[in-house]
Amino acid sequence: MVIASVTIGIFGGVFAVAVMNGAIEQRVDSALNNEISHIHINHPGFRDNYDIHLTIPDLDSVMGQLDETAEVKAVSPRIIISGMANTASKSAGVQIVGIDPSLEKSVVDLHEEIIPGTGDFFETASRYHLAFIGQDLAKQLNIIRYVIDEQTISELRESKIPEATVEKLVPFTGERFHSEEDFEKEVKAVLAPGELEQYGRLIREKAWSFSERTRMTLTFLDGDQVQTGAVFRIAGIFDIKNTVFEMSTVMVKKDVLAGLAGLTENDAHKLIIRLEDMEQAKAVSSLLSKKFPHLEVLGWKEIQPDLALMTDLVQQFYAVFMLIILAALAFGIVNTMLMVVLERTKELGMLTAIGMNKKRVFSMIMLESVFLSLIGGVVGMIVSHVLVLFTSSRGINFSQFEEGFEAMGYTSHIYPEINPGFFITVTILIILTGILSSVYPALKALKLDPAEALRTE
Amino acid sequence: MKILEIKNVHKIYNSSEVQVHAVNGVNLDFEKGEFSAIVGPSGSGKTTLLNMIGGLDSPTEGEIRVDQTNLAGLKSSRLIDFRMRHIGFVFQSYNLIPVLTAKENVEFIMNLQKWNKRERDKRTYELLEAVGLKDRAHSRPSKLSGGQQQRIAVARALASKPKFVLADEPTANLDTKSSENLLNIMEELNREEGITFIFSTHDQRVMKKARRVITLEDGRVISDEWKKKNGSS
Repeated sequence: MVIASVTIGIFGGVFAVAVMNGAIEQRVDSALNNEISHIHINHPGFRDNYDIHLTIPDLDSVMGQLDETAEVKAVSPRIIISGMANTASKSAGVQIVGIDPSLEKSVVDLHEEIIPGTGDFFETASRYHLAFIGQDLAKQLNIIRYVIDEQTISELRESKIPEATVEKLVPFTGERFHSEEDFEKEVKAVLAPGELEQYGRLIREKAWSFSERTRMTLTFLDGDQVQTGAVFRIAGIFDIKNTVFEMSTVMVKKDVLAGLAGLTENDAHKLIIRLEDMEQAKAVSSLLSKKFPHLEVLGWKEIQPDLALMTDLVQQFYAVFMLIILAALAFGIVNTMLMVVLERTKELGMLTAIGMNKKRVFSMIMLESVFLSLIGGVVGMIVSHVLVLFTSSRGINFSQFEEGFEAMGYTSHIYPEINPGFFITVTILIILTGILSSVYPALKALKLDPAEALRTE
Repeated sequence: MKILEIKNVHKIYNSSEVQVHAVNGVNLDFEKGEFSAIVGPSGSGKTTLLNMIGGLDSPTEGEIRVDQTNLAGLKSSRLIDFRMRHIGFVFQSYNLIPVLTAKENVEFIMNLQKWNKRERDKRTYELLEAVGLKDRAHSRPSKLSGGQQQRIAVARALASKPKFVLADEPTANLDTKSSENLLNIMEELNREEGITFIFSTHDQRVMKKARRVITLEDGRVISDEWKKKNGSS
């Protein structure tokens, strides 16, 4: 009983924390690698209302100084303008981000998150203006469509979907659905709920369709408050499992955006900085603040305080979580060991009668608990280590909660991760709990009157 | 030579409503090498008296001296140590430690007294041989019959060479043959090695073997008879 409760305690605690930790680490990695990088520099007033005129003064000199800073790995300037993205049927408010693709690649890895077949992050020269957008925006603007044609049907047959299910979709052959909602509504009407749950995701993937010739118009107010805009072709669709970012970000070439907005190529609203080591963000941002007192320098924790709060808070959350598990464990052990003392009253009475002193009786009960806790601890550690190791390479798929996860910026495929320090601390704490919770039953054993204990049946 | 003196011992249990005078003014002396039985009906105070002699319980009044040592004057920890060194116990339901083998059960007290391995082994095998169970040294209690378990218990009681062995109804759970066997072994140990045995019992066979029979009733000694060599009173 004690071994099982310690094993389950360690396993439950460590694994749950590993899953949460994994999800948060993935979120932080994704945010830093795809969205914000490590440090931002902008005009001190820029973030108040994104005034197009508030560019970074003397950009060349600032960039030159950044290049000389050892901890800085790469810098990419951005122009940022709020505007509208429109297609023939839909429109959405977006943040239009002008970038230099080659510099941008050195600060974030967004170009690696392109959905295959949708583009190449501005690499192919085109006579059109190009825009790089998120999957959720593409769905919103009906740029991504859902098509069931003969190829879709044959692909569905080749996958593991049963023929009976595919047959239900055959009548849709040749149909195009402009939005995900329309498509899902129609599919839902013909498939049984079980089929939908099991194969819905695969069917949606196979019917997913995107036309390279798709265009959209970006409109915004230029420096003179005059509406301006242009037609853009899609240069790629990225999918980073973060609805908010995907919905709001449209990337275009910086020189194109500068030209349309009446800015020069040397203007930038923001500098995105990648460091050699993310742990240095705080130190380097304070160093840069001193270097550029006329500019606003923000570390990633200030740019995304929610993430910072999450990473800090989560440590306390783990502590509370473990405390609850440890408390439950302590009660379990106290209860079990009291039962042990009760069951062995006669034996303990006999041992005291024949000359086993109190110190030895106490140590015997304590040793027993320590031994049980140790075995439970080691087994729990091994089980959770193996499971964390196993799942950290394959990940755990929570695809049924995908929408919810992505709305919060989290991926639904979580790779549990735990740092060895936490692992060891938890194990030590659980063994300590085992020891401490046996003190009371051991004291109880000491109070047994041998003559009375010997009379028990 | 007196090894045990019981002087005017009383034991009164106070429950919320009634006062029970379990032992009422007992005076007894025991010599070295006795083979004595304390008999009497249930509730006559046999076990209470035996517990007080063994230092498991203390008298409400009176004095128990083992080799001049007043048990009441010993602190709890000293008393436990005293029991370990000077008093052997045999219980009605054997009370062997189920996870230990016969040999380990016998040497348990020697372990507590930190005997070295060679001496421990020598003594253990001597005792196992004396109770006729040398060949079962490595069996656990669950693999032994009741009679065999009680013989192991006797061997354990003798391990630390006590001044006397207290046996509380040692044959109560045994069949006739096992009882006979056990009594013969104890009698032999008493005769040949001079070990003092004090029993509490209902068992006629034990009373027959005993050379002194003390009868208790309502906590009082009503008779104390010594048998002659031929077994008659």
